[in-house]
Amino acid sequence: MTAPDPDRLNDLGKRLDELQTRQAAKTQRQAPSQSSIAFRFATELMAALIVGGGLGWGIDWLFGHFGFHTRPAFMILFFVLGAAAGIRNVMRAAHEINAEIAKGRTSDNGNGKETGS
Amino acid sequence: MNLNPMEQFAVKPILGLDKPLFEIAGHPIYFTNQALLMVIVAVVSSLFLTLAVKPNRLVPTRGQSMAEMSYEFVAGMIHSATGEDGLKFFPFVFTLFIFVLCSNFFGMVPGSFTVTSQIAVTFALASLVILMVIVVGFMKHGIGFLKLFVPHAPWYLLILLIPIEVISFLTRPISLSVRLFANMLAGHTMLAVFGGFVVALGSAGGLLSALSIAPMLLIVAIMLLELLVAFLQAYVFAILTCIYLNEALHLHDYH
Repeated sequence: MTAPDPDRLNDLGKRLDELQTRQAAKTQRQAPSQSSIAFRFATELMAALIVGGGLGWGIDWLFGHFGFHTRPAFMILFFVLGAAAGIRNVMRAAHEINAEIAKGRTSDNGNGKETGS
Repeated sequence: MNLNPMEQFAVKPILGLDKPLFEIAGHPIYFTNQALLMVIVAVVSSLFLTLAVKPNRLVPTRGQSMAEMSYEFVAGMIHSATGEDGLKFFPFVFTLFIFVLCSNFFGMVPGSFTVTSQIAVTFALASLVILMVIVVGFMKHGIGFLKLFVPHAPWYLLILLIPIEVISFLTRPISLSVRLFANMLAGHTMLAVFGGFVVALGSAGGLLSALSIAPMLLIVAIMLLELLVAFLQAYVFAILTCIYLNEALHLHDYH
């Protein structure tokens, strides 16, 4: 077996490096698409309203069980709290998305494998 | 010809097993198409992941490198989201990720059934995640885990803020499950609707039949998009699990 030609090996190394940088640039973390952000916010808001209203309804039911007739009061209160929680969720989600975008900008040729979206 | 696009999501007994297998508290339990697909997903994914790494070669075969890549992908994801001590939960997150991913991909096979398009399945998975987070939080911090619900604010605001934080925490299983379920449902409904266009145009006769190639091409494009969504939703499910676990492990990161 003859020793490998150093020139050819160097050439191969160079070409591999080029390919790798090109691949890394391609798989860089991108900001999530507009529609997926919108969908995320919508589900966060809706889920909070459902949970809030549901909790209030449950508390009313429980009180009704023990003979206190509070029927719509807690449901209204918790629906409003649920709306507030929904806004809080959306703020938190926006915070997460911003952090994700910022992370993608700083790590220029960082590990491309971790970047899913 | 039945062109109802929602028909594909019907859960029904299969393999001629019209009689219930057994009963739990008076509720008959059937072996349905959904149960079959879940069994297939679980068996195929665990067989693939164990058999592919069996040869254990230094230069991996295609299967082995796929298994190793998925392992490294999830390990990297957990590490970046929760840090070193989150890696204890690798088996949990990896199983979830692979199950959701394989369910999504098996659902893309024409004629099969998408397990993750059923809210019952996704909600069960999301509840499992949240229960895990609560158990881990209480085990690690004891009663101090409840500090998660107490933001920095004057006491008179806390009366209002604590219920808001509790509701916000309770929304997580719902938003987690609805996101996966709605994405899969919407994608498969869209595919079925365009499939219906092909049939309707094709059977119209004359020039219209030739036009049926247009929705056909569109289906190919949507199919590719759906493959991307299938992966992306599994990824989102797993990364959100990591984020929630991170909050249970390190309380201060919650804000």
